[in-house]
Amino acid sequence: MPDAPSRIERVLNLLALLLDTRVPLTREEIVHEVGGYPAQISANRRAFERDKETLRGMGVPLTTESIGDTGELGYRVRPDDYYLPDLGLTPEETAALRVAVSAVALGEVTAHGEGALMKLGGITTEPVAPIASLPIAPALATLFDAFRHRAVVQFTHRGRMRTVEPWGLTSTRGRWYVVGYDRDRQAVRAFRADRIDGDVEVGEPEAFTVPADFRPDDHVQSRPWLMGDEQPVAARVRVDAGHADAMLAELGADATVIAEHPDATVIEVAITNRAAFRVFVLGFLDHAEVLEPAQLRDDVVGWLETVAKSAS
Amino acid sequence: MSPRAVAGPEIQRILALVPWIVAHPGAAKAELAQRFGITVDQLDADLLLVLMIGIPPYSPGDYLDVIDDGEHVSIRLAESFRRPLRLSPAEGLALLAAGRALLAVPGSDPHGPLAIALDKLEDALELPGLVVDVGQPELLAQVRDAVARHERVEIDYWSAGRDDTTTRVIDPTVVFFATGEWYVSAFCHRARDERMFRIDRIRALRPTGETFEPETTATDPGETFNPRADDPRVTLELTPAAAWVAEAYPTESVTERADGSLEIVLAVSERAWLERLLVRLGPDARVLGPPEFLGVATAAAQRILRRYSHTRSTRLATGRPDT
Repeated sequence: MPDAPSRIERVLNLLALLLDTRVPLTREEIVHEVGGYPAQISANRRAFERDKETLRGMGVPLTTESIGDTGELGYRVRPDDYYLPDLGLTPEETAALRVAVSAVALGEVTAHGEGALMKLGGITTEPVAPIASLPIAPALATLFDAFRHRAVVQFTHRGRMRTVEPWGLTSTRGRWYVVGYDRDRQAVRAFRADRIDGDVEVGEPEAFTVPADFRPDDHVQSRPWLMGDEQPVAARVRVDAGHADAMLAELGADATVIAEHPDATVIEVAITNRAAFRVFVLGFLDHAEVLEPAQLRDDVVGWLETVAKSAS
Repeated sequence: MSPRAVAGPEIQRILALVPWIVAHPGAAKAELAQRFGITVDQLDADLLLVLMIGIPPYSPGDYLDVIDDGEHVSIRLAESFRRPLRLSPAEGLALLAAGRALLAVPGSDPHGPLAIALDKLEDALELPGLVVDVGQPELLAQVRDAVARHERVEIDYWSAGRDDTTTRVIDPTVVFFATGEWYVSAFCHRARDERMFRIDRIRALRPTGETFEPETTATDPGETFNPRADDPRVTLELTPAAAWVAEAYPTESVTERADGSLEIVLAVSERAWLERLLVRLGPDARVLGPPEFLGVATAAAQRILRRYSHTRSTRLATGRPDT
C-alpha cells in the first residue's frame, strides 16, 4: 500500500533534520520542529516510532544516544554513515551491473539488486534474458553483513548451534555457503546457507581478522566422498567405456586413469568417506563397480544384498 | 502489517532520485522517468514532494528548490541529499552475487566493465570478496555458439532417466544455469517437442550445416523438471535419514508420520531414475505402490550384484588381477 503524500513528506523532513543536525535531538524537539506530527503526546510518540522504523527498515543509520546526564534519548543520522561513497563507476560499468542483475536470478534477493541500481542512478538498459538462477537464502544477507563488520555469528545448522567467525561467502554448484572459523570445533568449516534454520545472531563488530590469503572456495567440499575424517584410501573403480568420461568429470582432477580397455576404464581416486563413495558409485547402476580395496567392495556387495533381499 | 513493510518505495525512490538530479542539472524528465521506472506524472508528483522538504527554521532558503521547465529539471539547496543512501547488506550482496556469477560464466571478459565495476564496489564499500563458481561443462561454449547462431546440431545425449545414449537433432534456443547445472532448452526433432538437456550429459555435438528460425520462447530458468500428467506416481516411505529426498525432488505430496518417517508421492518419468534413488537409499526408502514398482529396488540391486559376482568368477578362473 503506498504511503500518503503527507506521511512521505513527514518522513523526508525528519530525515533532512536528522542529517542536518550536529547534535542529537530529542523526540520533543523533533516533533516540535518537523511538521505533520499529531499534537497529542501518545499519538506523536507512536507516529515518531513508526517513522523511525521506516527509516531504519530502509537502512538509514539512525543512532540513539543519551544526552548529557539527563539520560534523555537523542537521535541523529551521521552523514558519513548515511552517504553512499562515490564509487567512480563509468556509465558503461553501471550498465554492466544492470545486465548482471537482470541476467542472474537470486530469488528473493533479486529485488534488492534493483534497489541498488536505483541508488547508482537507475536503469538505462533493457533487461536481458536470465542466464543463471542462484537463489539466495535469506540468512545470507545477514551473514554477508556480519562478514563486512567482522562480527561473530551464531546460528542453528542441521539442528546444531554453531558459533562461527564468517570469513567469506561462496557459491558452488548452485549452492551458497558461508565459510569461516568454527569456534567450538576450532577449525575452518563451510556451512550451506540454506541449511541454516531460523535467525542468525550477530555479535559485536571487529571481533576477528581474516587471514590475508583466505579463499572461501578452498574450503567447500563439493565431493561428498571427501567429506569425512576417515583415513584416506585409494579406491579403484571399473566403469563401462560409455560412462567413463562422466565419472571422470564428476571425480575431478584428483582421479587417475589406471587402465583403459576397449569396453571399460579403471579409475583410482582417494576417498575419506566410504558411505558417500558407495552412493556415488551406485549412481552408475550396473555400469560401474568398486574393485579395491576389498573391504570397500565387500561393503558395497553387502549393501546391495540387503537391498536385494528387502521386502519392497 | 510488520513495521518493516511500511518502508515505502516512494521514499526510497525520492532518496535516489534527488541526488541524481542534483548531480545532473537540467536532466530530461522523460529520461529520468525511464531511469527510475516511473511515468512522467509520477515524477511530477515526486518533485512536488521534494519541494516540501526543508530544515528548520523553514525559511524560504531552507527548502529544496526544484527548477522545472516542463521538460527538464534541476534541484538546488539539497545539501543533505547530495548523495544517495548507502547500500543495504542485501543490496550489496545482490549486486556482488549477480555480478560475480555473471563474470564466472565462461566467455565473460575477466577484465571488462563488469569486472572493473565489481572491483570498485568491493574497494569502496569494503565488501568481501565473494567467490562464485558456476562450473563449465566441456561442450558449454559450443552449445552457446549454436544458440547464438541458431545452428541446428546433432548431439549424442546420455539420458540418466533411461540410462541410455541417443542421437538427436536439436534446435537449441536457450542456455541457462539452474540448480547447479547447465541446461539447454531446444526443439528436439526426435521427440518433435521442446526438451531440456543437461549440457554435461551431451557426449558429442556435431554441426548439421543447417540453421533454424528462432521462435521467441519464454523459458524460466529453474523449471527444469515438469512432471507430465501421464507419468506414473510412485508412493515411497522414507526414514527420517532420507527426508532430504522430499526437499530435493518435486513431490506431489508429503505426509509426515508420528515417528518422523515420511510418505511421499513422486512423479517418476523414467525407471532408471527411481532405481538409482532406491539402491542409494537402501534401507531408508521403501516403495509402497503401485504394485508394478514394488520390485524396482530388488531387481536393480540384483542386476548390479550380477556384475560383481561375474568379476569374482572371472578373477578366480583366470587368476589375473582385474586391472
